[in-house]
Order: sequence, then structure tokens, then C-alpha cells
Amino acid sequence: MTGLTLDRVTKVFDDDGGDVVAVDDVTIDIEDGEFLVLVGPSGCGKSTTLRMIAGLESVTRGEIRLGDEVVNRKPPKDRDIAMVFQSYALYPHMTVRGNMRFGLEESTDMSDDEIERKVTETAEMLGISDLLDRKPGELSGGQRQRVALGRAIVRDPEVFLMDEPLSNLDAKLRAEMRTELLRLQEDLGVTTVYVTHDQTEAMTMGDRIAILNGGKLMQVATPLEAYHRPANRFVAGFLGEPSMNFFEMEVRGDRLVGASERTAEPSGGSSPEDGDEFVYPVSAETREAIGDASAVTLGVRPEDVELVRTADGPHDFETVVDVVEPTGNENNVYLAFSSESERTFVATISGMRSVEAGQPAIARIPESAIHLFDADTGEALRNRSLDDLEETEPRV
Amino acid sequence: MRRSIRRLFGGGSGNSDDARPDGGTVTTGRKSALALDGEFVQSLPFWVPPALLVGLFVYGAIGWNVLISLTDWSGLGQPDYGSLDLSMYARLVSDQSFIAAFRNTLVLLVAFTLASLLVGLAVAILIDRGIRFENGFRTVYLLPMSLSFVVTAIFWSWMYNPQVGVINEFLRAVGLGALAQQWISDPRFKLWAVIFALMWQFSGYCMVVYLAGLRAIPTEQYEAAKVDGASTVRMYRRVIIPQLRASTTSAAVVLMVFALKAFDFLFVLFGDTPGPAADILSVMMFREAFSTTNWAYGSAIATVLFALALGVIAPYLFVQYRRGEL
Amino acid sequence: MAATDAPGAPASGSDGDPTDDRSFADRLRATGARRIALYAALVALVAFYLSPLESGLMTAFKTQDAFFRTTPFAPPPPGGFTVEPWFEAFDRLSTGLINSALLAVPATVLSALLGSLAAYGLTNVDWRGQIAVLLLFVAGVFIPYQAVLVPLTRFWTIVDLPSLLSAFPPLAAKAGIIELIVTHVAYGIPITTVLFRAFYSTLDDEMLEAARLDGASTFRIYRRIVLPLSGPIFAVTLIYQFTQIWNDLLFALVLISDPNDQVVTLALNTLKGSMVQQYNLQMAGAFVAALPTLLVYVLFGEQFAEGVAGES
Repeated sequence: MTGLTLDRVTKVFDDDGGDVVAVDDVTIDIEDGEFLVLVGPSGCGKSTTLRMIAGLESVTRGEIRLGDEVVNRKPPKDRDIAMVFQSYALYPHMTVRGNMRFGLEESTDMSDDEIERKVTETAEMLGISDLLDRKPGELSGGQRQRVALGRAIVRDPEVFLMDEPLSNLDAKLRAEMRTELLRLQEDLGVTTVYVTHDQTEAMTMGDRIAILNGGKLMQVATPLEAYHRPANRFVAGFLGEPSMNFFEMEVRGDRLVGASERTAEPSGGSSPEDGDEFVYPVSAETREAIGDASAVTLGVRPEDVELVRTADGPHDFETVVDVVEPTGNENNVYLAFSSESERTFVATISGMRSVEAGQPAIARIPESAIHLFDADTGEALRNRSLDDLEETEPRV
Repeated sequence: MRRSIRRLFGGGSGNSDDARPDGGTVTTGRKSALALDGEFVQSLPFWVPPALLVGLFVYGAIGWNVLISLTDWSGLGQPDYGSLDLSMYARLVSDQSFIAAFRNTLVLLVAFTLASLLVGLAVAILIDRGIRFENGFRTVYLLPMSLSFVVTAIFWSWMYNPQVGVINEFLRAVGLGALAQQWISDPRFKLWAVIFALMWQFSGYCMVVYLAGLRAIPTEQYEAAKVDGASTVRMYRRVIIPQLRASTTSAAVVLMVFALKAFDFLFVLFGDTPGPAADILSVMMFREAFSTTNWAYGSAIATVLFALALGVIAPYLFVQYRRGEL
Repeated sequence: MAATDAPGAPASGSDGDPTDDRSFADRLRATGARRIALYAALVALVAFYLSPLESGLMTAFKTQDAFFRTTPFAPPPPGGFTVEPWFEAFDRLSTGLINSALLAVPATVLSALLGSLAAYGLTNVDWRGQIAVLLLFVAGVFIPYQAVLVPLTRFWTIVDLPSLLSAFPPLAAKAGIIELIVTHVAYGIPITTVLFRAFYSTLDDEMLEAARLDGASTFRIYRRIVLPLSGPIFAVTLIYQFTQIWNDLLFALVLISDPNDQVVTLALNTLKGSMVQQYNLQMAGAFVAALPTLLVYVLFGEQFAEGVAGES
């Protein structure tokens, strides 16, 4: 068994005269047997990274190592990897058996019996034994997905690569396959790199997740770490649903003041608009973390915003309920600092509490739960304290 | 197929995942060697043998033909590549039969192309009206396209027979006997008779091309036009036909190129001397080169034909290439 | 706003104007008359497209005397029926039919196979510059053959096939046909490549990548994945090429000199020239010569139409 290392990997595409950097200096150490999820928005370079590992794209700079061996210049078939594609990419004219045999026939000199035995074993493991003589066209989406998986597993590779393998399934089947894939990977113990744009998959499946944005690696961490201790504002905003609330603040002594001249990011969260007075006093410890920065982004997760009866502290704010979205178990409450204000932030509260639009509410934003990011670089200056970690579950 | 899956599942990223971040560092491009070079070498055995055949027989021969047209080769001897000049082309310009053939070729090109396109479009629209036995009708209309020109020329020489031919019999039957003519011997009509017969053979091809174009237009557009209260005629004129431009272009290119090389049909009908009224360049080229062994002169006519064809296809292929539709 | 629409309301979405209904009924009635006109036009077109064949067929069954007495599209009159022209036509064309088959079958198969290989190498194997090579292939579809005729005859004079093949007497005896096969293959490759390329560019790239990851070489991918999936496009190409080659006159005219090598189009042209007034024989000959392509067309019309459309 082997680990996989991406060492300062860069991919530059030649796009009609102009060069486009699709993957920019990405370094990740993937341990033997690890399940690593590459996640990020469309166009972040995650699929390109995966295809470089597979050998389907050349590497412009940097090294890809399988174990200790640099594989940059090895053709795909000599890399001992197997890949599951988004479209499944099954061979339509072959039976399921033919599809699973193909890789073994082409890449090994196993005897016919041996191949047959491996195919049968793998099919049993995946519960597709009774499909072996059918062709892909006769299978349902979920069955095809399993066959695609089987075709990868039967090769017994050092590394599995999966490119959004569940995105063509309906929501229910996707949730089932998620669990099943995890179980399989644990049983087989094969190093796996899994690409997805779906943060639920990333959070629930990865031993670690690597978040990419614009070709750059934002953070590699366990899901919980990335959720609770995001390295920067992008990661903080990307993980979590509803996403983290952000407020653009100016640093004035030991107080953070809603920055009126700053415009809020369009996505996720919001900040008070002109004239809204949002003043957030911070402790000495937090102030120290801010350092020289004159402007910061304050972030707080919706589940960390509490609605309390009376304002009895500096971190309690008078707000008006704008919209309530019940999701059953919980309510997503959109709060505004005043009824005129159009910008809102979200608090997630128990579904049993009744809150109605137009009602005044007092929002408590505990200092222990806030994140602070440098307004210019987006780097995290301070993350939430994890003393009360058990109380908060990651929300995705 | 894959694209449609993508569309259905909206969220997929796959190939669209090529990141386009702005302001990325621009590198001096050392082109990625491994995958591409390997693929190039591996692709060679597949396309090089056919490319050699095409290169030799098509492009080599065209070059050779130009070379021969610069000699004054005729008769049984060998071409003399030692003295090359444009004398054959000078002879073309003053040759009355070349000018007549050139004019006839242009008439054929324009009239035959327009007639076939119009009839083909009309037939395609009729077929596309949601009719029964569509396959049967389509099969009949395209049938002439599957026949050899030798065969169709024999049929049409019978059709045009002045005494007992179908055309004149039909005219007499409907009381228009005065219009009966010596269709393929009267110099006034023979070229038009040829154009009509070729239109008969090729309009089915235009129908197929137009039908594919019509089928590519979403039915919603027909319904929307109906809801908007457009009459059927207006709907076709204003909404549907303008969208068939691509079909028209590609069909017109094929028809025009055919008109330039049309030979078999005329040769069977008239032999190698159709007379000045129906002579066209491709027949004249054959006559000069193969009947009277004026090889160099024939080659010069062939070069003119090639230049005409190039004038038709080069703009078309260029546009196709620019659109990435090759 | 959408919520106020009653479910199942007509999709037209106009606000219930009563005149709308009336004009709709009128339109329906008008539609009936229009359908009749439509089918009348379609049937008239059938008559137009079939009349040369129909009158040809009728004439072929008439005696010499009968076809001068009757209208050409009428069936043979009593006593004027004969099948003699068919036997004579078949007799005169039989060598041509055999030669045409010897020419068309190998030339069709070879040009389709080479087109398939070229299209794969220029479509599914990814390398720079393939578009430039492809452009030369596509342009080849449109070349007027007159532009190559003189060099072509010169080439086959210089390449003396009969003496090259003298070691294999059966082949040397058919040298003219072999020249014609090579020629038709070379000039057929552009169109077959274009047809195959249109099909191969729709193949799932991920599937071919999967095969590469599975360890298959470029050739094995062709052999085990692409070729088995090419069945439908092979059918289209074979049928289209077969009709093209069978029907061609020009190449045969300039390349075939030995009467024993005459293909059927040549033989038919000779028949027409020598039997000027015997229209029944001419028509029977035309049908005999066209029979293979007619048969192919009737059986595989769809594929033929696809091939014809693929030329553009």
C-alpha cells in the first residue's frame, strides 16, 4: 500500500494564445489508506488535479509521487490507479462481466479463471452478482454506479480516483451510496482521492478534505477542523449550510465597528448597511489576535447565534425578524438590525421555538463563537474556541 | 449524451472544471510533452496510411494536373516538363467553345442549385407536417439519389423522347400539346432539360438535409408561433426558414460542387459532344483530354474547374473551421 | 401569479376570449381541407419522382411494336407483353455485373475500414494539429474528379499493374479492376472519414479514458471499444459507398480499356449507344444495372439517407 504526494503541482492550459493556470502550486500529502476529498466550487481545478493524478493530463510543474516514485511521466496504465467517472463511462457493448474483466485482461497476465474468480468475488461484495450478464443499457443509474465501482475495485489498485461519482444519482440513492462507499473504502483500505462540489459529501466522507478555490489550495484538514477552524474566509463561507454570517468591521481600540464604507460580499451572510450601528466589543485576548489589522471580517455560524429574552450583555443585539424558514427540526431565522435594513444575518434555532416575521428579537453573538479574518487577505486571525465543541454539531 | 446528462443534473462540473482564474502567473509555455507526444505517435498508424493515399491520389494528382497544364503535351508521347508556360490558358481565353462551356457551367450551377434547394425545401416542409407514411414518402423522394446517372440518363432520354416520351405525352394529354418540344435535341431546351432531370435526382437529397434542419428546431417554436397567431405560411417564412440557413449553406455547397463535376449524366445523354448549347466544362475537359488527346489542354480546363470548386468550398470550410464544426 | 391559474387550464394562457374558441373551430375545419391538399401534393410528388421509373418499367415489358403504339406509362397492351428484353439485357450486362461486384465490394469495405481508422486517429486520439490534417480530408470530399483524371491515367500507365501482378495470373487478368479498386478507395477515404468522424466525436470521452486507465493501448481501445461500437456507422458508410462505387461511370471510362474488365455502368452505356431505338431493351438494361443499388436502397434506406446527409 502506498501514499500519494502532490508536491507543488501546477497545471497551465494553453487557451488560444493566453495561458490559464488551472491548478496553482498545490501540495497535499495523502497517507496510505486515507480518504481524501477534493472539494470546491465549479472551476476550482479539482477535476484537473484528479486527472493529473490519473495521468490523463500532463503536469506543468511540480511532482506527483506514488509512494516514493515520481509518476509525472508515467502513462496512466502504469500508475496502478483506478478511476470512477461521473458518467460511469461503462463500455455499452459489453456485459457487466465484460466491463469488469476488461481492465484485468488489458493490464495483467492473469489466467482466465483467475480473472473470473476476481470478478465474481467483487460482484458479490457489491451485490451485483445477478447483473453480471446484463449490459449497461439495461441497468438503473444506481446499478451502473455499482458496476463502475466494481470495475475499479476488481483491479485492486494502489489508489482509487473518483470524479463526482454520485452526482448523477437521485438524492436518496446518493445518501445510501455515500455510506456504502465509505464502508467499502474502509474494508479495502485503499488510498482514495474523491472529487466533489457537494460539501455534504465532503464533510461526511473525507478523512480529510482539501478545499480548492481558483486553482489554489485553501486548506487541508479533517472535516471538523475545517468547519470549526477554517484557515481563511473562503473555507469558512464554503462549508456549512446556511453559511457563516460575515460582518465587515473596523477595528477601533477594543471595539469592532460595523464598517459603513465596506460593501458586503454578495454570498453568504451580510453586514449592516450604512448607518446601522453594530458595535462588537472584544476581550483583550481577542484584541491581541487581531494585531495590527485595521479592518476585519467577523464571522459567526448561524447555530452559534442565540435568541435570548433580554439584552443583558455587550454581545446582545436588538434585531427584527425578517423571514423565518422552518426546516422541521430547526428554524432559520433571518434577522435585521432594524426594520428598514435590507441586509440580514441568519440564526438557526430549535424548530420548536415559535418566531414570527416582524417580531423584535434579541440576538446574542457569543465571543467564544466568533471568527475573525483579515479583511484584506482573508486569513483567519482568530477562530472560535472549541471548549464547547460537544454542544455544536457541524451543520452541513 | 454526456452533455445532456450534465444539463439534466445541472450541478455537474466535469470538464467545465477547467479553472479560469484571472491574473494567474503566465508561464513561458513548455508544452506538456508526455501525454500529447505519446498520443501523437500512437495515432500515426491509424491516419497515416489513409492520409498517404489521399495525399498521393488527391493532392498529388491535383498538383501534377497543374503541372501538365503548363506543358503542351498532346497525342501519344510523353509530357515534356522542360518547357512550362501558360500557353494552354491563353488558348482557353480565345476558345469559343470554352467560353460557351464556361457559361453553360455557370447556368447549370446556379439554376440547378436553386431549383433543387427550392423543391427540396418544399418537399421537406410537406413531409414535416406530421403526415402518415412519412417513411414511405421519404423513401420514394430520395429514391432517384440511389440510382446511377447512367441509369437515370437512360430513363430521361426516354422521358424526353419527342414522339412517345412521357413529357410530351403528358403535355398532349392535358391539352398543352403545343408546348411539346424536342427537349434534348433543340439547343434552346437541352440544358434546361438536363437541369430539370438533375433537379429530379437531387431534390431528394435537399429534402433530407432540410428535414434534418427542421427536426432540429424545437417544437416549442412552432407552438409559440401558433399561439402568437401566425398563419402557417408566415410561421415558416418568419420563424422556421430563417433558421435553416446552415442546412441551405451545406446543401448548396454540395450541389454547386456537383454541378461543376456533373459528367456522367450528360455523357450518357449526349456522348462527349453535347453541342455548344449544353456543353459544360467537365464534358469538354473529357473530350479534349481523352477523345482528342489534347492532354495539356484538358488539364488546363480541369485546373479551371478545380479553381471554381475551390472558390465554392474554401469559404465554406473556413467558416466551418472557425466555428469549430469540423 | 402562477398560483391563480387553475390547474389544467389550457396552456394557451389567453384570457378566455370567446372568439378564440370559434376561430379555433374554424381553424380545425380549415385544417381538414388542408390535410387533404397536403396529401394530394405528396401523392403528386410521388408520381413525379416515380414516373421515369414507372414508364421505364412498363416499356421494358413491351414489345418493340407495342411501345411505339401505347403511352409510355400504360401497362403493356394485350399481345404486346414480353420478357425478352430482360433476358437480352441481362445477357449483355452479365460480365459488367460480375466486374462491378468484384470492384464495389472490396473497394467499399476497404474505404470504410480506412476511413474508420483515420477518423479514430484524427478524433479520439488527442494531439495537436489533427484539425489541419482533417481539413485536407474534408476538402477531399469536394474535389472535382476532372482535376485528377489526366494524372490518374498517367499514374496507372507508369505503374504497370499487369506486369507487377504477373506472378499472380488471376489478379493480373483483372488488373483494370484492381486499378479501379485502388482509385475508388483513395477517393472514397475523405467521405468515409467524415462520416466516421461525425460518429466518433459523439463517443463518451470518459469511456475512452476509462479504457486507457484500464491499461488498453490506443490500438486495443480501437479494437475492443471503438470498433465494436461502430456497427451503425459502418452500415451507413458501407451502404453509401457501395452505391457510389457501383454507380460511378467516370473513373471506369478513363481507366478501363479491356472489354473483359467492363463494369456495368460502362456496359450499360455501350448498350444504350448500340440499341438506339430499342427502348424496351434500354429500360430493362437500366433496371438490371440498377437492381443491386435499388435493393440496397429499399432494404437500408435509412442508412443511405444518413450517408447522403453526412456529405454536407
